[in-house]
Amino acid sequence: MSRSIRYTASPLLTSRTPVWRSKLIVFALALGFVGLGARAAYIQVINNNFFQRQGEVRYSRTLELPANRGRILDRNGLILASSVPSPSIWAIPEDADLDDAQRAKLAQLLDMPLAEVNKRLADEDKSFVWLKRHVEPEKAKQIAELGFKGIYQRTEFKRQYPEGEAAAHVVGFTNVEDNGQEGIELLYNSTLLGRAGSRHVIKDRLGQSVEQVGETVDPVAGKDVQLSIDTKVQFFAYQKLRDAVVNNRAQAGSIVVIDANTGEVLALANYPSYNPEKRLNLTGAQLRNRALTDTFEPGSVMKPFTIGLALESGRVKPGTIIDTSPGLVNITGATIRDAHPHGALTVEQVIQVSSNVGTTKIAMQMPASEMWETFSGAGFGQKPQVEFPGVVPGRLRPYKSWRPIEQATASYGYGLSASLFQMVRSYTVFSHDGQIIRATLLKNNEPAVGIPVFSADTAAKVRKMLQMAAGPGGTGPKAQTAGYSVGGKSGTAYKQIGKGYGSDGNRKYRSWFVGMAPIDKPRIIVGVMLDEPTAGKYFGGEVAAPVFSETVQQTLRVMGVQPDISIRPQIVANTVQESF
Amino acid sequence: MTRISLLLILATLASAMYLVGVQYESRRLFTELERAQREARRLHTEFERLEVDKRSQATPARVERVAHEKLQMRQVTPGITVYMGQKEPSEQRP
Repeated sequence: MSRSIRYTASPLLTSRTPVWRSKLIVFALALGFVGLGARAAYIQVINNNFFQRQGEVRYSRTLELPANRGRILDRNGLILASSVPSPSIWAIPEDADLDDAQRAKLAQLLDMPLAEVNKRLADEDKSFVWLKRHVEPEKAKQIAELGFKGIYQRTEFKRQYPEGEAAAHVVGFTNVEDNGQEGIELLYNSTLLGRAGSRHVIKDRLGQSVEQVGETVDPVAGKDVQLSIDTKVQFFAYQKLRDAVVNNRAQAGSIVVIDANTGEVLALANYPSYNPEKRLNLTGAQLRNRALTDTFEPGSVMKPFTIGLALESGRVKPGTIIDTSPGLVNITGATIRDAHPHGALTVEQVIQVSSNVGTTKIAMQMPASEMWETFSGAGFGQKPQVEFPGVVPGRLRPYKSWRPIEQATASYGYGLSASLFQMVRSYTVFSHDGQIIRATLLKNNEPAVGIPVFSADTAAKVRKMLQMAAGPGGTGPKAQTAGYSVGGKSGTAYKQIGKGYGSDGNRKYRSWFVGMAPIDKPRIIVGVMLDEPTAGKYFGGEVAAPVFSETVQQTLRVMGVQPDISIRPQIVANTVQESF
Repeated sequence: MTRISLLLILATLASAMYLVGVQYESRRLFTELERAQREARRLHTEFERLEVDKRSQATPARVERVAHEKLQMRQVTPGITVYMGQKEPSEQRP
C-alpha cells in the first residue's frame, strides 16, 4: 500500500493524496531555481562582456574631440588657408514627417530645389542622409529654429581661402572631407591634418554628460605651414599677368617671382585661375599649375647659357666680333635665320639683339658634351627639387644623340623643354655669382647654398649683357622700370603645331621674359610666360616684358629696396603743396 | 546593543544620503563644466572664423580696389619717394 499524506487528524476529512505529487512540485520548483541560476551564471559569468557592453552603450558615450586642420600662412604670417566651422544639415528620413509647406521652407533655406529635398527624404530605409553640407551659419540657425523633427545638424570644418584665385594654384584646396587635393594642401596634408582626440563620458536621460570615465585623449591640432609666398607680391603679380593675358587675348599665362638670395618663391601665379572656395564647373585649363607642370621650348631665353659657357671656357670675350651676315647660317643642310640680318656683332650684341645666327656660330665652336653639362647643371632636364606635387623635369636629350643641327638649335632654346619655374630658377646662375640655388616654397631666411655652374666673373658679364638686352637697342626695352636697373632676356618661341612649327601667317607663339633686378646685385628674378597671344603683338619683349617691369617695380618697392638708378624726383615743394 | 545598532543604521543612512547628494552635485557641476568648455570651443572657432573674415576683408585685392576707387589714391613710384638711409645714393640728387 502506498503512503499517503495526512492533512488532518480527523478521519472524516482524510483524503488520499499520493506522495509523488508533492515531490513533483518540489522538483518543478527546484528546476525553476536551477534555471534561474543558470541564466544568472550565463549573464554574469559566461556572457558577461556582451551584457556589460550593452549596458554601457545605453549610458556612456565616446565623444570625438575634433582636431583643427593647420593653417597655411604666407611669409608674413597672413592667412592663405584656414578652417572655419560650418554646419551641415542631415536627416533621418524615417523620422522626418514634414508636410509640403515645411519641405518648401526647408528647400528655400537650403537653397535647393524642392524636388531634391523630397528625393533625399524619400528613402525611408536609410537612417542617415546629408541634406546639404557646409551651410551658411545664419541659414543653419534659422533651420534649427524651425525645429523640424528628424532634421539635425553637425559642425564640420570648411576651408577658407582669403586670397581666392590669386594664390589658388600654390595653396590648392581640400575636398569636403578635409583632405588635401591640390597644391600645398595636398603635399603637406599629413602635417596640416591634426589627430582627433576622444573621451568617454556617461550621459543622463537628457543627453547631458554627467561624468567622465577613464582618460581623455587630447586632440593634436594640425601644424601650420608657412610658405615663402608674399601675399602682396603674389596678388599684383597675378593681377598684372591677368591683365596681360586678357589684353593680348592669350590662351594662358604664368608668372614666377623668386628671391635671388634665398631661392624663396615670392609669387607663383597662373591665369586662368579659379576660386578655391567655389569649385563648381572647374576646367582642367583653370586647374593646371602651368608654371610648374607645363614644359615648353624656351627659345631665346636659353641664349645666355650658351654665351655664358663660351665666356667661361675662354672661347670668346664680350667684345669678340661675330659675323652674322647675311642673317642666316647653314648647318648640315638646314638653315638658321635671324628675324633681321644684323651684320657683324660683338658677343654682347648677340644677346642684346638676340641673334640666332650669332649664338649658333658661337655654339658650334664648343663640344656638345660641354653644352649638355652646362644646361644640365642649370637644372634643365632635371626635376626641380621643390615642395610641390606634379613638378615636371622638362626634356634635355643626352648629348650623344645630338646631331649638329640639334646642337645648333639647342643653343638658342629649341629641341629641349623646360617649365617657367625651371627657367626662373636657372637664372639664379646669373644672379647668384654663377651658382645655381635651390628654389623653395617654404619660408627660409638663410642665404641659399649654391652649386657653381659659372664663375662669378662670367655671371657678371652675362648680367651686363642681360641689362643691354633689356635696354635701348635690345629686344626688351619695355622691361625698364623707374628707379631700378633691370636685365633680362625676352623669348618668342614658335609653338609646335603637329609635327612642325606651322607656316608663316599660321604660327602660334609663346612669349617669355625672364630677368632680374637690380642688375648689379640682384634681389629678385621674375619670369613671365604668355601662351599664344593673338591680339597682334607676340614678341616676348612686347607682351611679357611689360608684366615683368610692373612686377619688378612693385616687388622691389614692397621689399624696401632702394632705387639704384637716378630718377627725376616729382615731389612737389612745400610752398606749392599749400595750394592743393 | 540595539542602541548602537540603531545609531549605526542612522549613521549609514545619513552617509548614504550624503553620498547621493554629493554625487548629484558632482554631476551637476560636471555638466556645467562641460557646457563652459563647449562655449569656450565655440568662441574659439568663432574667433578663428572672424580672423579669417578680417583677413578676407583686407586682401591686397580689396585694399587696392578701395584705395583706387574710393580714396582716389595712386601707386607709389620711386619718383615721388624720398629715400632715407645711412647710405644716401649719390646719384639720387639731380
